[in-house]
Amino acid sequence: MAEREATTVIKIPITLDIPIGPQHPAIHEPVMLKIYADGEEVVHAEVNTGYNHRGIEKLMEKNSFYKDKFISSRVCGICNAVHENCYTRAVEYLAGLEPSPRAKYIRVLAMELERIHSHMLINAIMAEVIGFDTLFMYIMRDRELVMKAKEILTGNRVEAEIHMFGGVRRDIDDVKKDKIMDILKKLEPRLKYYRKLFEEDPTINSRLAEIGILKPETVLGYSLLGPILRGSGIKSDVRAEDKYDAYGEIPWTVITRPEGDSLARMLVRWDEALESLEICKYILEHLPQGPAVVDERKLPRVFPPGESYARVEAPRGELVYYINSVGGANPYRVKIRTPSAVNIINSAFSYVGHSIADVPVILVSYDPCISCMERAIVLDLKNNVEKRVPLKYIAQKKVRL
Amino acid sequence: MSIIKEVIKNFFSKPSTIEYPRKAEIPVEKDFRGEFYADLKKCTGCTLCALECPARAIEMKKLPENIKLKHNPRGLYPVVNYMTCVYCYRCVRVCPVDAFITTPNYKLSSVKEVYSEEKTLKTLGMG
Ligand code: SF4
Ligand code: SF4
Repeated sequence: MAEREATTVIKIPITLDIPIGPQHPAIHEPVMLKIYADGEEVVHAEVNTGYNHRGIEKLMEKNSFYKDKFISSRVCGICNAVHENCYTRAVEYLAGLEPSPRAKYIRVLAMELERIHSHMLINAIMAEVIGFDTLFMYIMRDRELVMKAKEILTGNRVEAEIHMFGGVRRDIDDVKKDKIMDILKKLEPRLKYYRKLFEEDPTINSRLAEIGILKPETVLGYSLLGPILRGSGIKSDVRAEDKYDAYGEIPWTVITRPEGDSLARMLVRWDEALESLEICKYILEHLPQGPAVVDERKLPRVFPPGESYARVEAPRGELVYYINSVGGANPYRVKIRTPSAVNIINSAFSYVGHSIADVPVILVSYDPCISCMERAIVLDLKNNVEKRVPLKYIAQKKVRL
Repeated sequence: MSIIKEVIKNFFSKPSTIEYPRKAEIPVEKDFRGEFYADLKKCTGCTLCALECPARAIEMKKLPENIKLKHNPRGLYPVVNYMTCVYCYRCVRVCPVDAFITTPNYKLSSVKEVYSEEKTLKTLGMG
């Protein structure tokens, strides 16, 4: 017993315990990375969450299916359209509703515009984290173009609120179509420029290349999702696998890169943004005719009992909604599993061996979205409780120091 | 490839910052989801909008004593709290008589609570 204690005691003095977060200027998100470093080298990392718990899943149980639609799109500001899409489709599967082809195309358009601005945002933040503030400003300026396109399509820059059970809430006419098309044409050279910059700029390359390398088997072993998966050469995308909404009809390809480092993940995002741009253009040119908008007054008030499950490819990876209904106006249980919950919590291992300055780079390359992962953390914290019993007791003043 | 060329180009271009609200306006679409209020000429006081609002931003109020409306037997009308409202327009879409007047006005920031009461009462044309 005494020997064991001795090994623990020896470890603490030689490591430097550095909290990165919860209010860290690099990530703008309330998450804490507790980094244990030996000199400059990270020897152990812990992900501490729980600063942003909002109880959304409980809130959804207490509200009607319709109100939940609006709550689900507020799980995350950046990827609100994918959240609503996933929830809406889960409810549609439950109720047996089917959106019209035009509605499906409009949904995909909203989601792809969102993917472009989300990928631009995280690339901008990456530029900022590596000290390239000028580039951050430029990318954010050009991101405004996409926000405008989203405003034209949905009526708001951020919160789309375009989905409704059985269709969409707004249609687009030819004037809007042309306006969005013009914006996309302006955006394309910018995206290509930034992509090239990330690929060739020596500053960016020296900070990102070969940092946080994840081998394909590691990525699969830790269930990491989205651009992380594809940045390590694994061809997996829910859009291609499930072919939900109009993705089965639109020609597009899944982007992968074999390197698996931070640079590869960022380049996958740029390539995906360009691919999304093509999808948007295709949609605007091939929008099917017919009705798209549903009359919200004529939708059913109550929903049948049953279970349903839907998943979408959010900008950060696979997003899952599970709905359990016992019939009636409120769902019995809504379970949300967001990609960041998996990507951030499972990735603590990947900081080990890098220098402290690389930690924000690796974290940002995972595109952390803490607001959407917080609810899912609670369970994880419970699992960790046993490990941290003394700490908890200290907080509760059960143990006097 | 370096960013220098881009920097030089931008150095001579006009700033992209919009000096809102002092010097410039931000143009928005005509159908931007902005300020909205109920039209008393249409509203029947059915309360559906208040029940459906996900943010509980609508409160049903009694009409002033001197206003009697035939199509509104209960004498209720919705008052939106713009500070609580999330501008989802659920109320606008569920209203059975399309009573809401929508505007693209987004300039709604304020240090105190702002309600739609005055605007709604004005729709009767008597102020
Ligand atoms: S727009 Fe949405 S949040 Fe605002 S009052 Fe209407 S239903 Fe409520
Ligand atoms: S739903 Fe329409 S008619 Fe009913 S109270 Fe609201 S505004 Fe009036």
